[in-house]
Amino acid sequence: MKDRLSALMDGELDDKSAAEVIAALGHDDEAVRTWRAYQLISDAMRESRRVLSPGFNARLAGRLAAEPTVLAPRALQTDSRRWYALSAAASVAAIGLVGWMAFGPQPQVAPAPAPVAQVQPETKPNIVPLPSAANDYLLAHQGFSPRVSLQGMAPYVRTVAEQAVESRK
Amino acid sequence: MRLKKILFTGLFALGPAVVQAQSADTLGWLRKMHDATQKLSYTGTFVYQNGARSETSRITRYVDASGDIEKLEVMDGVPREIVRTKDTVRCYLPGSRLVKVDRRTDRGFPALLPERITALARHYDISLGESRRIAGYDCQAVVLTPRDNLRYGYRLYADVGSGMLLKAVTVDAAGEQVEQFMFTQLTIGGVTRDMVKPRHASRTWRVEDAGAAPAILAGWGLSSELPGFHKVIELKRRLGESRSAGQVVYSDGLAAVSVFIESLEGRTDPVRTGLASMGAIHIYTREVANHMVTVVGEAPAASVQRIANAVEYRRPQ
Repeated sequence: MKDRLSALMDGELDDKSAAEVIAALGHDDEAVRTWRAYQLISDAMRESRRVLSPGFNARLAGRLAAEPTVLAPRALQTDSRRWYALSAAASVAAIGLVGWMAFGPQPQVAPAPAPVAQVQPETKPNIVPLPSAANDYLLAHQGFSPRVSLQGMAPYVRTVAEQAVESRK
Repeated sequence: MRLKKILFTGLFALGPAVVQAQSADTLGWLRKMHDATQKLSYTGTFVYQNGARSETSRITRYVDASGDIEKLEVMDGVPREIVRTKDTVRCYLPGSRLVKVDRRTDRGFPALLPERITALARHYDISLGESRRIAGYDCQAVVLTPRDNLRYGYRLYADVGSGMLLKAVTVDAAGEQVEQFMFTQLTIGGVTRDMVKPRHASRTWRVEDAGAAPAILAGWGLSSELPGFHKVIELKRRLGESRSAGQVVYSDGLAAVSVFIESLEGRTDPVRTGLASMGAIHIYTREVANHMVTVVGEAPAASVQRIANAVEYRRPQ
C-alpha cells in the first residue's frame, strides 16, 4: 500500500489504480496516516512554511461544521444527513485545494517568492482609544524593530509622541 | 518513495534565485544605509508626521571605539528624551520625574543584518526610485513594494555620498502615506560625547526597569503565523511600574509585531477588545485564557488583528 500511496503522490498511477487507492483512503486509517506523513515530509522538503499545523484537518472540519447554516431549521431537520455530507464535501474540497497548492506544479528553477497572501478582511474591528499603557508597549516594542538598524532611534519618536497625547488628557 | 525528485527540486528552490531578481545595486543601497547608521556620527533635526500631526525632534549619534550612544530629544510639547547606549535604552520623562529603562538582552536588538537584507526580497520588490535633494543632500530613493497586503511599503531616501537615511515614508496598499520621517537639517561628523549626555539630572527620579530577559512562555503561541513573519525573540519583562508581561516578537526582516501577554488575575478593569491606531502603528487588544493579549506593530491593521486573533493558549503537557 505504501508504494501505491507514494506512486499516487508522484502522479504515477493510472486512473483506475488511483481511484482504488483513493477509495482505500476512505476506510483504511493506516493508509490515511501514511498519506499524511508522506505529505508532511514532502511539505517540509518543498517549503516549510506550507506545513499545516497538527490537527489542521480536524480544526478545519470543526470550523466548517460550526459555520452558521443558511438552511432553514426545518430543512435541516428533514435532511440533516445531506447537510453533513455537504459539510464533509466542503472539507474534502478544501483539503484537496490545500493538497493541490502543496503538490501542484512547482517551478523547477525560479522558486516562488514568499507565498503571496492577501489578507482576507477580518471581522471589522471595534475601534478603541489607545490603551493607557500604550507608551510602555511602544517603548518595549521599538527596540525590536529592525528599522532601528536603518534609521537609528528615530522610530522611538512614536513612543514619546504618545506621551504628549496622554499628558494633554 | 519517489521523494528524491522533490528533494532536488527543493534544494534548487532554496537557492538565492529570488534575490537575483533584485539588482545587486538596489540591495547595495540598503546595505549602504545600514552601514551609515552603524558607523556615522551625526546630529540633525527631523520631523515625524502621521496624518495631521507632526512633531520635530533632534537626534544625535556619537560613535567611538567603545561603541555608540544615541540621543533623541522631542522638541515640540512636553520635553522628553531617550538615550540609547550599547546595552540600555533610557527614556527620560521630566514631567513625571520618571526614567524608564530597557536593557538589551543577550540576543540584542534583532538588527537588520546585512545578510538578512537579501532575504527582504522574499517579501518586498526592491527597486531604485527618484533622485531628490533633501536638507541639502542629494538623495537616492529605494522603493520597497510589498509582495502582498500583509505589510506596508516604504520609500527610503539615502544620501548618495554617505548612505545616511534622510527620509523614510511608509505607504499603505493604496499608495497613501501612512507616516513619514524626514530630516530638515543634518550635520555628519563633529559630534562630541557631551552632546549625547542626558540633559536631565535624574538621580532623584523614579526608575522603572523592564528587567527584560529571554524566556519561554509555556503554552502560548499562534495557531497560524502570518506569512513571512517569524518569531524573533520571546521574553519576560515588566511593563510600567510592576506589571509582569510576556513578549513575543515576530518580524519579516523590516516590520515587527510584538505580542504582549499579561495575566488578568487581580485586575479589575475589563479588557477593551479592539483596535487602536497611531500612524503606521496598530494596537489590537483581546482576552485569551484569562490573560490580556495586546499586539503592537508597524503593520497594516488587518495583519495586527490577524496575529492577535491567532494567539492561543494550550495547557503545556
